[in-house]
Amino acid sequence: MTVNPRPLSPHLQVYRFFPAMAVSILHRASGVFLSLASLLLVYWLLAVANGPDAYAAASQILASLPGRLVIAAAVIAFWYHLLAGLRHLLLDAGIGFDLPVARRIGFAVVALAVLAAAATLAAAWRYLDWS
Amino acid sequence: MTQFHLPAGSRYRDVPGRSHPAPAGAQRVREFRIYRWDPESGQKPRIDRFEIDLDACGPMVLDALLKIKNEIDPTLTFRRSCREGICGSCAMNIDGVNALACTCAIADIRGAVRIFPLPHLAVTKDLVPDLAHFYAQYAAVEPWLKTRTPPPPDRECLQSPADQERVDRPSACILCACCSTSCPSYWWNSDRYLGPAALMAAYRWVVDTRDEAQGERLDALEDPFRLYRCHTIMNCVAACPKDLNPARVIADLKRRVGDRQH
Repeated sequence: MTVNPRPLSPHLQVYRFFPAMAVSILHRASGVFLSLASLLLVYWLLAVANGPDAYAAASQILASLPGRLVIAAAVIAFWYHLLAGLRHLLLDAGIGFDLPVARRIGFAVVALAVLAAAATLAAAWRYLDWS
Repeated sequence: MTQFHLPAGSRYRDVPGRSHPAPAGAQRVREFRIYRWDPESGQKPRIDRFEIDLDACGPMVLDALLKIKNEIDPTLTFRRSCREGICGSCAMNIDGVNALACTCAIADIRGAVRIFPLPHLAVTKDLVPDLAHFYAQYAAVEPWLKTRTPPPPDRECLQSPADQERVDRPSACILCACCSTSCPSYWWNSDRYLGPAALMAAYRWVVDTRDEAQGERLDALEDPFRLYRCHTIMNCVAACPKDLNPARVIADLKRRVGDRQH
């Protein structure tokens, strides 16, 4: 008789995906992304401090298509992370633990984040210098 | 380190499972796909398929498991006892959610019924996971009455109906482990995070007005992992077969720990 090391039972592979799970994991993902994107802000500030040439180079990079996409993603992540954080504040106050309420708050967080990000990007679009 | 994939020896799609077709003439056939692992086989886990005639089977998932064990494959191994949702033995992952097989109706599931052991535990055999660590965590919250004042000499330590009501709900927990093993945070951190079931037990003694160790109990939870790995994912609430709300209880514990520090 050979005794195998006991297997680990399946988890993520078999568990049904609930909306509250998505709200939670996106909160973490957007937080990680914002931390990385903040390096971009630091780079831009360094460029500002380093004089006109450095600033021009940084502006060019940030205004390129990939640069704009990263900024747009950061705006979406910012709003989502902020609103999901407010959701946690509600939870810490004891609000939103009944599953139907939790579901509604979760959908509201996602919908408001999309709307707020769209408004922010639309405003930025108008005032951006496209020359 | 968090590992999302199953270790190589735990993958359950590598070994082909066995198929047991329905008897001829069966009218209402339902397929059951059941996780199998035999420690003596030397093989990886596999998924067996059983076709069951629902006209010749009781209404609950546990009825189907018993039918399989009695009539098709006596080696199928699972825990069960009361068959009415009070012992918590037959907790398993059914159709993607942790539940008690005895209170889970086959009619409520669409398509093939997929049955796995409770998630992210060491499997002992088939649908029987090792719950030793889970029980150790229950023991770690010291689930018994602690008092310093001696009881009055002429009577028992009395409790008002209102005081008892605070304890009623949390004591309805049957320690089936559906909640803890539904929690992704518990999957990755169960070595240090107590999980919803043990925290529910801790709460039951914290709110008991006869208990005099509330401070010690809360201090024992004040730790980056034991309590605060709850990120309110709320899988526990969806999984609990007794309709308890471990997420709310954990939030209440967090607030009590916070209040104690001010």
